Amino acid sequence: MPSSTSSSDNAYPAVKTSFFDPEHVERPVPERSWRVIVLIAAIATAVLMIGWETYWRGKEYIAGDYKNTAALWTVQRNKATGDATVLIGSSRMLFDIDLDIWEEMTGVRPIQLSLEGTSPRIFLTDLANDEAFHGTVIVGLMAPLFFTTDGGLRAEVLKYRREESPSQRWDHQLSLFLERYFAFTDEQTRPKRQMTHAPLPLRDGMNPLFDPRKLEVMTADRNTEMWSRVVNDEVFREEARAQWEIALKLFAPPPNPDGSPPAPMPDVVIDGVIAEVQADIKKIRARGGDVAFARMPYGGAFTPAEDFGFPRERFWDRLLAKTETVGVTWHDHEELQGYELPEWSHLSASEAERFTRAFVPIFAKVMEEAEDPK
Amino acid sequence: MLFNSLTFVVFFAVVVALHNAPFSWRIKKFNLLLASYLFYAAWNPPFVILLWISTLVDWNAAKWIHQSTDEARRRFFLILSLATNLGILGFFKYGGFLLENFQALMAAVGVDYQPAAWNIVLPIGISFYTFQTMAYSLDVYLRRAAPAKSLLDFSLFVTFFPQLVAGPIVRPSQLIPQFAEPKIATRPQFYWGLGLITIGLFEKIVLADSFLAPAVDGAFGAGGGLAPLDAWTGVLAFSGQIFFDFSGYSTIAIGTALCLGFALPNNFRFPYAAIGFSDFWRRWHISLSTWLRDYLYIPIGGSKKGPVRTYINLAITMLLGGLWHGASWTFVVWGGLHGLYLAGERILREITPQQKWFSGWPFKFAMALITYFLVNITWVFFRAGSFGEASMMLASMFGLAKDPQKVLYLNAIIPALLVIGGMVLTHWLMRSTTKEAVIAKTPGWVIASVWTFMLFMLIITQGSDSAFIYFQF
Repeated sequence: MPSSTSSSDNAYPAVKTSFFDPEHVERPVPERSWRVIVLIAAIATAVLMIGWETYWRGKEYIAGDYKNTAALWTVQRNKATGDATVLIGSSRMLFDIDLDIWEEMTGVRPIQLSLEGTSPRIFLTDLANDEAFHGTVIVGLMAPLFFTTDGGLRAEVLKYRREESPSQRWDHQLSLFLERYFAFTDEQTRPKRQMTHAPLPLRDGMNPLFDPRKLEVMTADRNTEMWSRVVNDEVFREEARAQWEIALKLFAPPPNPDGSPPAPMPDVVIDGVIAEVQADIKKIRARGGDVAFARMPYGGAFTPAEDFGFPRERFWDRLLAKTETVGVTWHDHEELQGYELPEWSHLSASEAERFTRAFVPIFAKVMEEAEDPK
Repeated sequence: MLFNSLTFVVFFAVVVALHNAPFSWRIKKFNLLLASYLFYAAWNPPFVILLWISTLVDWNAAKWIHQSTDEARRRFFLILSLATNLGILGFFKYGGFLLENFQALMAAVGVDYQPAAWNIVLPIGISFYTFQTMAYSLDVYLRRAAPAKSLLDFSLFVTFFPQLVAGPIVRPSQLIPQFAEPKIATRPQFYWGLGLITIGLFEKIVLADSFLAPAVDGAFGAGGGLAPLDAWTGVLAFSGQIFFDFSGYSTIAIGTALCLGFALPNNFRFPYAAIGFSDFWRRWHISLSTWLRDYLYIPIGGSKKGPVRTYINLAITMLLGGLWHGASWTFVVWGGLHGLYLAGERILREITPQQKWFSGWPFKFAMALITYFLVNITWVFFRAGSFGEASMMLASMFGLAKDPQKVLYLNAIIPALLVIGGMVLTHWLMRSTTKEAVIAKTPGWVIASVWTFMLFMLIITQGSDSAFIYFQF
């Protein structure tokens, strides 16, 4: 006889039997050698997991590479109080500034809040509205993102931070523990991602999918560097470049119906963005903090898109002038030029170290001059 | 707390350890009660107060109903209980909806009414536990059962964590007696409970979230006319996603309870093998459909007051069943369509003379496919965010959309259709049996292999970031 548990074991003091028989819940258990089955399944799963972990390590995935989640970002955002130095921007700010080098050179470890594909304007507003923050914000500016959107790929992190539940916080801590020891925990190894990237033919009339593969390796405090495979694997690197070409086509303003190039962004729109930024800067300065801007190197297909689509006089220079802020752009300093950009948009890990060493003194000097114009 | 989270793994291990520790039964029940409050508070601590209000009001109302011989007093206490539960539900779930419709009504008569924004967070699972506690007061009022003897047992009935936030909606008579005496799972129960948890997690994390969600999100998120293949893939994938998501939750709930030695009722019986809609509702969300039948359809007259009243009662039940799911007219239409289907089926049964070939499998299979097709039409309204979106999707499915776009890549279409094909076939093969019966006949090495596969897929898929769809109800 199969064993079972049932709710009818004890009499609920029923006054009258129901028309519907909800009294009895039968929960039969199939009669099997469960202990043996569980043991075999557990051992077989463990063996498969060892194989899986080994496979991904062979593909240059490493333990201690943390997932760039909203929870990880939230932990850092919660540290951005008082006189902290905070980096906001999109992926270039994330990849190109090495926090260890910065700390070594200045004694201060900045808080990295940059997020890929996301305009830093929403984070500037968030910090401006946070009365507990009166530190320095360094805004990484990628003009196409900064001026065309006040959101982007990862804008949801602000909502996540507002609504984060206790169980999400606990889950994050447990996840960090696993990510410290296992390489397969990388989001890119999931079957869902593998299916997305399976080389299947495109249906007629569809554009190739924009969905970049893994590019970065991240520590628990979001210090980020380019993944070694992007640098070492030619095929992988070409794939990353192909993704940027798709993105530049997808997100570029469409041409006019007659085929002529689209009209440039009107001054009034640019000034509208700058006015919003200026209001945020005022709030931070009123509390004793400050804001400065930075532009990181780019190359390849990004050069025409950014230099011609967003000329510095109309965007960068105008922003600094109208907001009365200072900024460092790689175009102006020889020390910030000539770096290797494997996939055109970000520096490799070793180049990011070198770049940070060059950037920090230039930035410090610019800030110093701004404080004391003499 | 989500079942598909690392936190739950740790939480459940601690709960099982405490439940098997040498404490008295009373202490173990306290442990379960505290664990249940923690389970709920892990999402949003202040909302535990709602559970306390529901518990205390229904505990006392039922006691007073039972003690009183005066019908007016009994009715008063029942109304107190129902008003409290429906008041909580109405305020949190339907407040914004009512306000929105009132505003539209005022606008229709020329009044420009601008209310303050309704920014109320919906407590998860509120529809489930309010229905569960209302059943208690109603059972006592209708003299089907006496009140529970212990407040601790009743509190645990309201709060029992495995089924607290998304069912199965358990009747008092199903669960309260189980708290009366010590319950600890036997070894086979514990292992089978773990097996059910694995099946449920596999349904949710691997099938619903990984294989089907991309096609659903791609199609329903496109915001315009779609090519028929994209529209059908999106809708069929949603039929699978909603099933695996919700059935997955119920299966985990049943397995979790079984690991602790408790029995919870089935909530699904391979619904996409249903032949007709009365059969569908005997297989889909069984605990809700029976609740609606016993506490709404039958009390308002059921089929006992003539054919016209039967159809009206059916319509009321299904429309309210739709509204139970969400504060939106699209859910009402979803319920209304099911009401229409049930009425149509009833009429067809009455006017169609029985034929021999009705009992043959080809006819049954064809009827099952027609049922599945019509159910899919209703899912469009369930999933769409608005009537505009729903009508666009329906037009797309039948090739009537203007400027139809291809939005789904083969990478989303192929896995979705494979899973849907497998699901429909499995439901058909399993329509007259149970998981338990099949497991009992399957060789041990096959069970171990399937279990290994599911565990492996679960681990490499790494849980999920998404909540269960039914949490929002």
